Amino acid sequence: MLAIISLMTLGLHSGSTSMFHSASEDQATARSVLVRSEKLYVTPKRVIEGGALLIQDGVIVQIGRGLEAPEGARVIEGRVVCPGFIDAWSSFALEENAFEDDRVGRATRASDALDSYVDPRFEQQILGAGVTAYRVQPSAGARAGGLGAVVRLHPGKRADQSTLLADCCLAGGIGLARDGRAVDVFDRVGEIDRWIGALSDGQAYLEEQNEYRHELEEWQKKIAEKDKELDEAFKKAKKDREKAQTEAKDKGTEFKEKEYKEDKKPKAPRFDEDKAELARVASGELPLVLEVHRALEIRSLLEGTKRFTRLRLAIAGGTDALECAEELKARRIPVIVWPQPTVGGRPEEARVKGMGLAAALESAGVEVILGSGAAAGIGSRDLPLLAALAVGHGMQSEAALAAITTRPARMFDVSDKVGSLEVGRQADVVVFSGEPFAATTQVRFVISGGDLVVEGR
Amino acid sequence: MLTWILGLGGVVAAVPVQASDDHGAQASFAVRAQHLRLFGNEVVHDGVLVVENGKVRYAGDAKRAGEIGHDVIEHDGWLSAGLVACRSYSGTRGDTLEGKRPLTAEARIADVVALDHVDFERALAAGITTMVIAPSAANVVSGATAVVKTHGASFVSREAHLALSFSDSALRFNRYPTSYMAALGELENALARPSGVWKRVADGKLPVLLDAGSRDEIQRAVRFAKDHKLQGALSRAPWAGELADDVKQSGLAVIAGPFDVGTAERSLASVVALAKAGVPLAFGVDAPWNSEEGLRLSAAMCMRAGLDGRTAWESLTSTAAAVAGAGTRVGKLVSGYDADFVLWSGDPLDLTSRVVAVYVDGQRAFGGAE
Repeated sequence: MLAIISLMTLGLHSGSTSMFHSASEDQATARSVLVRSEKLYVTPKRVIEGGALLIQDGVIVQIGRGLEAPEGARVIEGRVVCPGFIDAWSSFALEENAFEDDRVGRATRASDALDSYVDPRFEQQILGAGVTAYRVQPSAGARAGGLGAVVRLHPGKRADQSTLLADCCLAGGIGLARDGRAVDVFDRVGEIDRWIGALSDGQAYLEEQNEYRHELEEWQKKIAEKDKELDEAFKKAKKDREKAQTEAKDKGTEFKEKEYKEDKKPKAPRFDEDKAELARVASGELPLVLEVHRALEIRSLLEGTKRFTRLRLAIAGGTDALECAEELKARRIPVIVWPQPTVGGRPEEARVKGMGLAAALESAGVEVILGSGAAAGIGSRDLPLLAALAVGHGMQSEAALAAITTRPARMFDVSDKVGSLEVGRQADVVVFSGEPFAATTQVRFVISGGDLVVEGR
Repeated sequence: MLTWILGLGGVVAAVPVQASDDHGAQASFAVRAQHLRLFGNEVVHDGVLVVENGKVRYAGDAKRAGEIGHDVIEHDGWLSAGLVACRSYSGTRGDTLEGKRPLTAEARIADVVALDHVDFERALAAGITTMVIAPSAANVVSGATAVVKTHGASFVSREAHLALSFSDSALRFNRYPTSYMAALGELENALARPSGVWKRVADGKLPVLLDAGSRDEIQRAVRFAKDHKLQGALSRAPWAGELADDVKQSGLAVIAGPFDVGTAERSLASVVALAKAGVPLAFGVDAPWNSEEGLRLSAAMCMRAGLDGRTAWESLTSTAAAVAGAGTRVGKLVSGYDADFVLWSGDPLDLTSRVVAVYVDGQRAFGGAE
């Protein structure tokens, strides 16, 4: 508003340029925030003792020790400062039916099902725990999957306005119970085959597209050559034609126009939205997140996906993932772990579950990413508690912090925006009264998308 | 000569001391820990716990302990009383409900609990040493609860409470009663001419466990307890905090939770309100359907919502023990109490802390030296 008024003034009086500048500078000072800490996590691995962070107009402009607050800047302090947390598995703001619909297609976008009118109190509760971004996917266990999105929690902005990446992954499930009924073992194997088949289709589609692009390029080059040739030979050709015409007239024969054999323009392969997304997955452009639990299915999936060398696969859930830890480690396939209720399973089965699984996988060398599990949208609020539980099961706290910051950011291609603190990006910062995972620690401030959205308790 | 090695991940320093060959059943020994979490919110630095014949003889400052004169286990971490979970279905294999009849006052869950069930190993791994095992709340009167130790196959009590339900889960369309009115009528009837179990309830010898869900069910349960001067606890009652004054007046305790990821803020705020009103609090764990570590998670979630550390700790130990009717035996590290304790890597209220070893009645039940 201010800028618009200033611009209008600028248009009316040519001499008011300085006024425009001063107005904007005032605003900048007012919007400067200096965050001081005893311990600043730039990333889980890079810690600056006594580090500070200067934010101007919502953008981090300086990180380091002994930063001075510009005049008029707001100074906030806390013992520990972290990048905002990211919930790798959430259903927040996702329209309820979208979450349960398992008939979605591969090109279905979760970002289309985000409810912009979700109760702002829920958003505030999640932010209050230090979680500033989350990933959603259409349907929890769809056979075919759909495109997941990474969304920033930004009060006052609609979910579609704060979507960081509307296509962060293709996601689906294998062997999951549907409509409350378990899927039998043959169908489960069939589901894996269908996924592998789909990836092959995607690969074929990609090759077809590449071939078409190549042929089109060749054709265009050829046409250009011909054009040039024609252009150069035009005069001669005209003369020859006239000559031939006169000759024909003289001889009384019929004049035949020289026929140009036109090269056929290559035909574009038929567009298929599902295959187009699968092609992106096969080429490694989009990560593939598959919820799969049983050892047998994880193993078959790993076996079947071996030949897709550029595939970026992540296992979600992964109850039995520990049994395939070696291969997961070797192929650098991360596992998104969330707390699994014992309900439905046989309680006697003393499997390592939930956050115990996170710790066990981590110590087996598998990259672990934590998620709240999407059981309830508000679950994202409890992500830091889950990280604490993982530490309680023996996970290093540095790894647990990475599992809710840098790792999900990298996995879902948003590491240029969130997951770590870096100069030049919009600030997503959490200021704690103590170590992030301690019981007595409180969240003092949260900055999301550059705005101070939670203030001290 | 053997060595006590409690070195899990290098957390516990091993100190060679003399110990008998029989690790588990040593008659007397002491544990010296960096931090000793005692009753209330008291934390003693460099504390010692002296165990004699399965009982606590001394717990407190190591300097004031004088000559301990026992084998000493050094623990480079925290030591606290074992946790008490106030509602669970562990060891029952789901056999917690009589499906045909709504009133089974003489039924006892103790009769079906398998004390050597693997459920109890998981409870131990979560630092739980005592549990209230309850019948399902899906009957108007479902029977007596039991209190068990999670190790050593022993009952603390075979009849701890009479479990009653004021919630609509006890009402079914295909058997009597189908209405709150009729259910309450049956309860009034039972207390009008009390006999058997009901006699003990009427005489105040047996506390009740009152399951309730919605606000009106909570109100009904509180009124019933007040009218008949019953002692005991509300069970579940997710919004009891909104009626905190009424609950406080009734003298009932509340067994809240278990709270899992995604629990509504309203339920957590209820616990905080109950604590502020001075209502005794404990947590249910509802294992094996819910994870045993949900007990500490429940407390941590309430703490994040504003519950103070002292109340949180007491609701996991001493208050829970009192609600279980075992407040003079377990839940505190006080001379004469059962030596049920846990060695942690850090403060048990922190979810980041790990269970290193668990002792029940002075016997090592989980972790520690192998």
